[in-house]
Amino acid sequence: MTRFGLRLTLRGGRESLIRLVVMALAVGVGVAMLLVTMATINALGKQNARGAWLATSPPAANGNPQLGQQGTSEASSSTIDPLWWLVSTNQLGNQVIVRVDVASAAARSLVPPGIPRLPGPGQFYASPALAKLLRSTPASELGDRFGGTEIGTIGSSALPSPSDLVVIIGQSARTLAQVPGAGEITSFTTSSSSGGPDSLGTTGLQVVLSILALVLLFPVLVFIGTATRLSAARREQRFAAIRLVGATLRQVAVISAVEALVAAVAGVAIGFGAFFLVEPALVHVPFAGQPLSAGDLSIGLLDILIVAIGVPAAATVVARAALRRVRISPLGVARRVTPRPPRFYRVLPLLAGIADLAFFVAVGRPTSSNGQIQAYLLGFFLIMIGLVTAGPWLTMAASKIMAKRTSRVPVLLAGRRLSDNPRGAFRAISGLILAIFITSVAVGVISTLLIDHGSTSSNTAASKTVTDQFVFGPNNSMPSVPTAELTSLRSIDGVTGVTLVYVAPSDLRTDGPVPDINGLGGDIQFGLASCAELAITPALGHCHSGAALATLGDDIAFMPVTKSVTIAASTTWPTAHISQGLKGLPVQLIAVATDGSASAIARAETALDRAFPFVGSPTLFGEIGTQTTQLLTALKTASEVVILASLLIAGCSLAVSMAAGLSERKRPFSLLRLTGVPLGVLRRVVALETAAPLIVIALASAVIGLVASDLFLRSQLGLTLRLPGVTYFVIVIGGLVGALAVIGSTLPLLNRITRLEDARME
Amino acid sequence: MSLTAAPVDIRSTDYLIEARDVVFDFGETPALRGANVSIREGEILAVMGPSGSGKSTLLHCLAGILAPKHGEIRFSGQRVDTLGDNERSALRRDSFGFVFQFGQLVPELTAEENVALPLLLGGLRRNDALGRAREWFERLGIDGLERRRSGELSGGQAQRVALARGLVANPKVLFADEPTGSLDSLTGELVMELLVTAARQAGTTVVLVTHEPRVAAYAGREVIVRDGLVSSLVPDTRAP
Repeated sequence: MTRFGLRLTLRGGRESLIRLVVMALAVGVGVAMLLVTMATINALGKQNARGAWLATSPPAANGNPQLGQQGTSEASSSTIDPLWWLVSTNQLGNQVIVRVDVASAAARSLVPPGIPRLPGPGQFYASPALAKLLRSTPASELGDRFGGTEIGTIGSSALPSPSDLVVIIGQSARTLAQVPGAGEITSFTTSSSSGGPDSLGTTGLQVVLSILALVLLFPVLVFIGTATRLSAARREQRFAAIRLVGATLRQVAVISAVEALVAAVAGVAIGFGAFFLVEPALVHVPFAGQPLSAGDLSIGLLDILIVAIGVPAAATVVARAALRRVRISPLGVARRVTPRPPRFYRVLPLLAGIADLAFFVAVGRPTSSNGQIQAYLLGFFLIMIGLVTAGPWLTMAASKIMAKRTSRVPVLLAGRRLSDNPRGAFRAISGLILAIFITSVAVGVISTLLIDHGSTSSNTAASKTVTDQFVFGPNNSMPSVPTAELTSLRSIDGVTGVTLVYVAPSDLRTDGPVPDINGLGGDIQFGLASCAELAITPALGHCHSGAALATLGDDIAFMPVTKSVTIAASTTWPTAHISQGLKGLPVQLIAVATDGSASAIARAETALDRAFPFVGSPTLFGEIGTQTTQLLTALKTASEVVILASLLIAGCSLAVSMAAGLSERKRPFSLLRLTGVPLGVLRRVVALETAAPLIVIALASAVIGLVASDLFLRSQLGLTLRLPGVTYFVIVIGGLVGALAVIGSTLPLLNRITRLEDARME
Repeated sequence: MSLTAAPVDIRSTDYLIEARDVVFDFGETPALRGANVSIREGEILAVMGPSGSGKSTLLHCLAGILAPKHGEIRFSGQRVDTLGDNERSALRRDSFGFVFQFGQLVPELTAEENVALPLLLGGLRRNDALGRAREWFERLGIDGLERRRSGELSGGQAQRVALARGLVANPKVLFADEPTGSLDSLTGELVMELLVTAARQAGTTVVLVTHEPRVAAYAGREVIVRDGLVSSLVPDTRAP
């Protein structure tokens, strides 16, 4: 029977061959998409693994003894001596430079990956991208921050992306031993899941990106499943003829499985071919905001085996299951087994999930981290289960209403078709619903955080002011700032003024309350500044007229969000009175106002870095959260990519299932056309029954995703959802239009299969 | 029934449908080779002939489903064969009704929705369309089946629903292609009785393609298609 099935599939005439080719092509497209998704996950994993060493932190850092060293490679720790180690970040414009300071603690110290030996004091290794930047940027704007001589480049095997800016600077052990946060390490972190502190901040990003890539698998797998069902109706008619001459149901099942298997195997071959064809071009796609290294985007032997065996096996199972849904009697495809209509209880998990999240808005979030994780995970998990289970019920309910009330034939026909088989209609887009939901939650939360963080671009003064906050100095401050350094800073070309914010002494008296601009409450360490200096750094706010000193509230140096910066600039700080002068007070922050040019800002940052090494990180005022903002933006971009891809894949699934549905209804459609029903009406029927679920489900899952993110933001962060930017809506609408275009491209098929010349013979 | 063949009179101008020298082929296979036929308003004409003779092709040409390669088709004096696809569709929708052998009902729709379909296509409101459709269920003895789907109807019931759909919009012509072909003789006769009665009551012209003399006997006049040519049978004494 297998041989017969093979002969029937391969030598069954032109129609049979066309069917095989179409199915193989559709499966091929699905397999190629699956391989791209798997390769992307692999690429992110490889990036992650290469950058893991940068997440290493000392087990007992200076001034930070609680830090643990988890998930690290302990190999050779007995034979290799420890290494003094400090990772920090530095900024040049909107680019983040990861700075690693190392010092040999003994003769045979550990050597970081990517370099042949440890740099000595006054030497450094730079990543290729940073080396290039160093060559094109004046030393006063960048190179002077690192001091010493560049002695080589860091190998690509130690860099997540070729565009990463990383520097490994040699120091003396004595120097690092004095620096808060530095400590001795005996091994490097080797995996992102170690749970250790993440200096780069990309570990979490890559984990989330991997999850987003996994989300793409749902619509891809649904598409492959749908593709294998293509032409099922025609196949079933042929099976009826075979039954008539005495074939048993079991034999028919074998033939069906063989046909599906042949198409799937051909599809897998096409898919692999297509993947290897587009792979070189895909390397340049910055999925995570960073280009991939050559070779990152690859698939392993296990991936190949999973796809090469899994897809044909799944296709066979799908074909078998599909055959069970119809009764093929010798007299033809008997009446289809009408599935029981979905019941209302399918909506309950969805409602329970939303209720769970709403409950914590009402009563407040759980106090423990574990409690919060459990509460929110349960809510989101219930919603995801609920979306999948409720989908067919919602499809049925909406289509019944549609069909019962309409006087328009296309709506009536489409509505009845959908309400007749809501599971079938929903199946093609079931992968989409989860992808859109998850990405909408991500985009909703990220957009709100980004808007909450604000942007310095809206505050001209802040975007021209560089601040250095001495968080790693004794008591989060510097005992004093030498006058020579101040003079040097003021003399930089493009610098317009320098302001020092002192730690307020205990005898501080303030006229009136100090504004709590961060809204953080808690321990407030007031700052103190001279009004003469504040006048030249308007980003920090200003004094009442005639005042000599001002009390700066809310620990202005610790502004975690840029929103506060905007408020700071328009704040009038209350007048301060102290018994002595400012001289001798420790300094918590130094602010350098510039003319706003990139070179002046870079020169100020470089000068501050050189003057006050290891005690702070000079950055544009309010851009303390730049790195977080960049990570969030990368996540948002990735989420939007997933939304777009999911919609297009869903469009392909729907187009395939539409083509299959048309074959099933060739006869009634053809006869309707014979009786004078215009082709336009039939087109609208097909478009409606295909596009309506896509649009409704995509919008519903996006709205539910945004509602869920709002509930999460309210209870967990006390924020209200801010609608995502135009990009999100453009991508959702653009994706829908793209999906509809894919569906529309198959509409000529309707014209073809209902051609009057052919239809009259139906 | 007399089987004396006689040339078809095509000189008269008061025919509702006229076919003149109609030629149609399927590639190398000729189907009609200069067929002529004229049908008066209100007439019930049976088109008979053996399998492959071209009788269904003739019906499809008369109904504007196929455009002949040569010759002309007129409906109410207006050329049909020169109309575009959209105009021919509109003509079929507005002026013609159809009953086929089987499978013409839309399976997802209820019986009453199937019947109401031409009215809805004509822009009638849903309730009005369904109301008019329901009237036909009683007339054709299928009341009570309005909410059933085609899969829940017997062959005879489905044909009566199809007949109701063919007549509900008061077409000028009803084209019936082997309307009893899939039915047993008893049910076939019932369907034909209903078809003829309803058509006569409404004054609808009927073009009935069949190969069964018993079915053709319901017609007022019979023509035979053989080798792509039409010849008429002299009508017996039955009333038109």
